[in-house]
Formats: sequence, C-alpha cells, structure tokens
Amino acid sequence: MDVLENRDAWQAEYERTWLAHYRATGETKWDIYNRPDNKETPSGPAVDLAASRLMLISSAGGYLPPLQRPFDAANDLGDYTIRTFPHTTDPGALAFAHDHYDHAAVNEDQQVLLPLGHLHDLVREDVIGELAPSVVSFMGYQPDAARVVDETIPAILALATAERADAALLVPS
Amino acid sequence: MGLIARALEMAGIATTLTTWNAGRTRVTRPPRAVYTRLARGATLGRPHDVAQQRRVLEATLALLAEEAPVKPVIMREQWEDA
Repeated sequence: MDVLENRDAWQAEYERTWLAHYRATGETKWDIYNRPDNKETPSGPAVDLAASRLMLISSAGGYLPPLQRPFDAANDLGDYTIRTFPHTTDPGALAFAHDHYDHAAVNEDQQVLLPLGHLHDLVREDVIGELAPSVVSFMGYQPDAARVVDETIPAILALATAERADAALLVPS
Repeated sequence: MGLIARALEMAGIATTLTTWNAGRTRVTRPPRAVYTRLARGATLGRPHDVAQQRRVLEATLALLAEEAPVKPVIMREQWEDA
C-alpha cells in the first residue's frame, strides 16, 4: 500500500493543471486542483493508550520565536518543513504562522488546536501513558502532496521513531 | 493530515485524527478519524468550552483502542449552539 496511491499520475495532473495555472497567472485556482484520493485504508493494531507514549502532531503553524523561524505562510506553493517544541512549552511562548485560517479562536484559547492542557490532564487521569517529549508542528497549507510524502512525512516519521511514539494524535487546523 | 496518518500507521505507529473538514480528509483514507461540524481554526471545539473540547478529544483518542481501519465516527459537535 502507498501513502499516496497513483503518485505519478497525481503529480503529473497537479503539474499540468493547478501548478501550470499558478505559474502562468499567479492565481491559486482550487476548482482545478486534484485532491489526493486514495482507495485503500491502512490497517494497524489497536493500542492500550494507558500504556502508550502519544505524540501530538499539529498543522496549525505553531513555532517558538525567536528560537525558530516562522513558517513561510505567504508562500502560495506551501511550506513542507516541520518545527518541534517540548510538550511542556508555555502556551504564551508560541506563535502561529499560517495564513489560511482565522487565528481568533487559537489566540483566545490554544486548546482549540493544541490541546496540551487536556493531554496533560489525561496523563494525570491515567487515560494516556505518557506524552512523547516533542510536539510536531507544521503549516498545513501544502498543495504539493508529493512533497508532503518526500519531505514532511520522513521528518515526522524520523522524530516519532526516535522518540519511540506508540501512537499519534493528529490535529489539523 | 490523512497522508501523514497513513504513513505513520504503515510504519507501526497507531494514529487517530479529528477534523471539521470531512470532505477533504475522508478521501485520503486515514486509518482512524472523527468528523465534526466544528470550524476551521477550532478543530477541537469552541474557545474555553472545556467540555466540548474534551468530548471531541476523548472520542478521537478512544479510536486507538480499535484495530484499524475503523469506520469514521461522525460527531454532532458544532461551532454554533444547537
């Protein structure tokens, strides 16, 4: 099974339509965008969350200034890099670089996108075994699915493996 | 996020996700997913609505106790009051 089925065909169509139009006009034209469309779903075993290490993965564009550079939120072609920060990070230390959602809710209460307070409570309540040391963060505007496969996913997978995560909670923005 | 969930699951790391955007996510075929009627920028619920955020979060995490693939769960949680 592939992460992105029919990848070559997807990429050729993306380059022929959406990307070609963007390069010709500077316009991001979503009615001609070929969204990734898989047919099969991966299988995997159940896990005992109370005995597991859980990693939080967020596409809200969170980063730690001034230590980390913001994501390239204004880039119409997307940003495929990741940032990481400890799950113990003070919410006030985070900023969000992502131009494709209204930040009003997350500025009022970060738990709407980064539920670290709730996850810490669930560890204390013995629902979750423990949290992986790092939170994975990226900016979820990524029109090139092939670059997600080639760049974003390997970086996330390497970190999740290095930190011995048993499970992952993914929270898109 | 659907592609990332697939890659992690295929590497042996169990995944679960929740989103307000079922239409875009469903077609990527993630292993476990909860779909809500919440809003872009507030995936887990309204600001400071601790009860709603916990309901969505706990329902999403509960899917890890099931072998994937799991039939997607539809929650009635929404941005506006019902």
